[in-house]
Amino acid sequence: MRLIAIVQTDCPTCRLIAPYLNVLARSAAVMGISQDGEDATREFVRQMEMRFPVERDPGFEISKKFGVVTVPTLYVVDEQERIVRQEPGFDKTALNEIAAMFGLAPVASPYDGAPASKPGCSSRHLETQTEGEGAEALDLHSKRGREASVIELDEDAVEYCYRIFGDALPVVPPTVERVEAMLGGLDRREVIARIPPCYGEATVEKIAANAVMAGCEPKMMRVLIPLMRAVADERFNAHGVQATTHFAAPLIVVNGPVRQELGLHSRQNVFSNVARANSTLGRALQLVLLNIGGARPMGIDMSALGNPGKFSYCIAENEEENPWEPLHVDQGLTKDQSAVTLFAAEAPHGVSEHKSRTARGVLKAITYSLATVWSYRACLGFEAVVALCPEHVRTIHRDGFSKKDVREFLFENTGIPLRCYEEPGEGVEQRTMYKEIFIDGERCYQKFRAPESIKIVVAGGTAGKFSAVLGSWTVGPRGSQMVTYPV
Amino acid sequence: MRIVNPLNETVVDRASAAPRLASLQGKTIALLDISKPGGSVFLDRLEARLRTEHGVATVIREMKPTFAKPAPPDVLQRIRSADAVIEALAD
Repeated sequence: MRLIAIVQTDCPTCRLIAPYLNVLARSAAVMGISQDGEDATREFVRQMEMRFPVERDPGFEISKKFGVVTVPTLYVVDEQERIVRQEPGFDKTALNEIAAMFGLAPVASPYDGAPASKPGCSSRHLETQTEGEGAEALDLHSKRGREASVIELDEDAVEYCYRIFGDALPVVPPTVERVEAMLGGLDRREVIARIPPCYGEATVEKIAANAVMAGCEPKMMRVLIPLMRAVADERFNAHGVQATTHFAAPLIVVNGPVRQELGLHSRQNVFSNVARANSTLGRALQLVLLNIGGARPMGIDMSALGNPGKFSYCIAENEEENPWEPLHVDQGLTKDQSAVTLFAAEAPHGVSEHKSRTARGVLKAITYSLATVWSYRACLGFEAVVALCPEHVRTIHRDGFSKKDVREFLFENTGIPLRCYEEPGEGVEQRTMYKEIFIDGERCYQKFRAPESIKIVVAGGTAGKFSAVLGSWTVGPRGSQMVTYPV
Repeated sequence: MRIVNPLNETVVDRASAAPRLASLQGKTIALLDISKPGGSVFLDRLEARLRTEHGVATVIREMKPTFAKPAPPDVLQRIRSADAVIEALAD
């Protein structure tokens, strides 16, 4: 049995699938068929470091014989040259099933930063218009990048780095020695992700240089690497988050044992200047977004008011004070795993409730803040993180609420009275799409799309009945989706 | 002091802007709506003026599915034949 992959050199999906085919080719017979010319094919093989033979298909004889419609298409062929399976496009489930057909372990992890699936391009022999094709494609998928250049400085390094690479604050100069220590023997040229909106190559070395500048300790690299994959995940849509005029900034939530191992703080002052680990991890992400992603506040980052989280925005969940499942378990991981979650968040909006002694009372107070997310009359297009403080959690839990009950209560009780919609304004035209509900006897439009639109995190110190609501940017497949990656 | 360059060093080919049109007479103009509120109002008015005041022969109207992401390939493909593209960006 062997695997035949029909590809084009300028098709982004073919480039996306190439490293997975390389892994399959370690133990299975894999052959590539390129629909392009000799030079383009040679360059493709070099750039993608193909570890299996790639033949050309002049006149598209092979493509026609296989009846290929889109590229890439994978054909599993048996000893009698019969096609036993064919898979068009990129699909992680299909790749893992094909690996299993060859007796191999899965090759496509859900947490490698690539989308679960991606459609391909039309086969060259079916293209009606070929003019303009063959232009060199932007390389977005090869796994080996260039070594970073070294800058020789005569002037004051702190001043120079502040001016050229900084976040408007001084940074630690990324000297060759400091970067070396941060790398700790990792492969410096491995491309971990390409950071939107400019799709700069985040090699391990470039990540390390920015981590040095942020003040990270070398042990933080084990979190930074999955974090870079998460921020470049298409579902998170950093392209939009980084360029929008809105307030959003990527909020990092850390879960699991890595919190203690690296000193990530989850208690009082969790959103502020309390721990080196939180502050430097959040800052390292921001410096990568600036220096590798290219969204600078005087350029592509067009935020009207910005967000203080763009210096650093990183919390750990207070799992010790959380009687329910932590966030990463809601997101599909197990409790003993460590994880980073990203959410395109506004600044925290405080909810003080010191007088109520019931779950219902505390949660009602939160619904009035939830109702103001985005703009009071706009419904459905966004989500929110509710950061519950331990004192509120105790009151809510004592009344027998599960986390699901909390989400459902907030969902059912957050709405905007219909009487608010008489004047025109944001969110009013879309009211035909909203769902009418009754809250305390009053007709309202339901604020959120589903209970799952409200993400619950336990955070903060054990004194003070202050929780917070963090609104989102535009969400869903057309905006930014929360992503969680294991560490 | 020797420091490691922390900036993106990916080499990107420089592309030159398309040549400007001397006249709009008889041309095909694509109007791209990024799907922000109000974009269609602006483009409706622009389309009328392009036809009546500038002799534009054909207007292609296209819309991005979301303003939050780059235009997908099929949308770009459908406006590729135009002589010029006007994009409505703001709210």
